Parts: sequence; C-alpha cells; structure tokens
Amino acid sequence: MVRDRALAEDLAQETFIKVLNGIKSYRPEFKFSSWIFKIANNAAIDHLRRKSIDTLSLDGAPGAETPEQMRATSLQLGDRAESPLDEVASRELGTAIERAIARLRPEYRSCILLRHVEGYSYEEIAETLDLPLGTVKTYIHRARNELRGYLEDRRD
Amino acid sequence: MTDLTMHLTTDEIELWAQGLLPASRAIHLADCSLCRVEADRERKVILELVQLPKFAPSAGFADRVMAQVKVPTASRDWQV
Repeated sequence: MVRDRALAEDLAQETFIKVLNGIKSYRPEFKFSSWIFKIANNAAIDHLRRKSIDTLSLDGAPGAETPEQMRATSLQLGDRAESPLDEVASRELGTAIERAIARLRPEYRSCILLRHVEGYSYEEIAETLDLPLGTVKTYIHRARNELRGYLEDRRD
Repeated sequence: MTDLTMHLTTDEIELWAQGLLPASRAIHLADCSLCRVEADRERKVILELVQLPKFAPSAGFADRVMAQVKVPTASRDWQV
C-alpha cells in the first residue's frame, strides 16, 4: 500500500496497538482478520491522504511569478501523473507492478491488493472495507484496467 | 445453456486467469481472438500481483507492540 517497508511496519505496529487496546470494541459477528485489515487499511489510507496534502502545492513552482507561470506549473487535483523526479525515484524503488500500484487511487489499491495478493473474495472485501459489493467489483475492474494501461505503456 | 459464441464477461475472464472457469465457457477462447487477447492481458496483470513479495515484520516487532498495549490489572484498572 505505501511502498516503504519501514513505514509499512510502523503502520502495522500502530494497527496492532489499536487492535489490542480496542479489543473490547470487536464485534464477533465479523471475521477477526477483517477487523484487523479494516484498521490497517484506515491507517494506510490516512497516511496516504496526509502525505498527499503535505506534498501538494496548488500554487505552482516556487519561482512562478506571473499567473501564467503559476498555472503552467501548478498541480491539478486529481492529477496522478508522475513528475520527472518521481519517475526517477520510482525507477529505483521497485518493480513495474509496484510502481503501477502506487499510481492507483488508495481505494482501488486496497481492493486490488486484498483480492489478488491476500486472496479475499469480493464479499469479504466489501465487508472489510465497508463498501457495497458492486463498488468493490467496479474498483477491482478499474484498478486492473489501470494497471494494464500503466504496464503496457512502460513496455511500449 | 450458454451460447458458445457469447463473449466472456469480466468476471469470467478473472475466473479463467485463475484457472477456475468451467471448460464449457473456456472453450469460447479457442474461437474468439478478442476474448483471448483480453484474457491474456488480464492474466499477465493478475500473475504480477500474485507474485508480489510478502514481508515478515522485523525482529522485536511484537515487543514494540506489546510495550504500548494497556494490560488490564487484577483490579480492572488499565496500566501502560
């Protein structure tokens, strides 16, 4: 989810502390592993959102002075393209599939990893992430399409 | 009875990529190049996902967690 082993371990640690300190709020009608995944997923998504807010500049490059320069260099909300610097860093930080996953929306990322890495059924993902079953299917199909696109772009 | 000429759905392609599509539907791939191309692309992505490395936590992970867990005492108070 976060493409950083040390950070993933910090988030896992935060998750297990929350799980063990909040064990009284666990409801046995849900699978225990789903409850843990839900807490872990929330921790990862919170982190990714915080990171996105920390690094997003809407005003353009620091040196941009005119409105045209600011517009030309500003990031647009929803712009998920890698910057040249990101791209150089990405090349050194994992396989093509890992980089492609990193470009997915966090919601798509959670669904696709639970489905194809953890082997969850669509129903289990819906329960774990509190999403309607149809939404889970849509997210997974869109995520796979986006991954295919990213991977095929790189091979061209 | 399913029409053999009917294209595979996205769900069926996922099942095929995992080796779970019934032969009665998988046979469609032999005659339909559109579905075959789509299914091959889908399978490549799923295979890449399945092969992602998994990591175990580093040594001392459990101790670091337990150091921050509030353990109930006999008096039912919580202590750190």
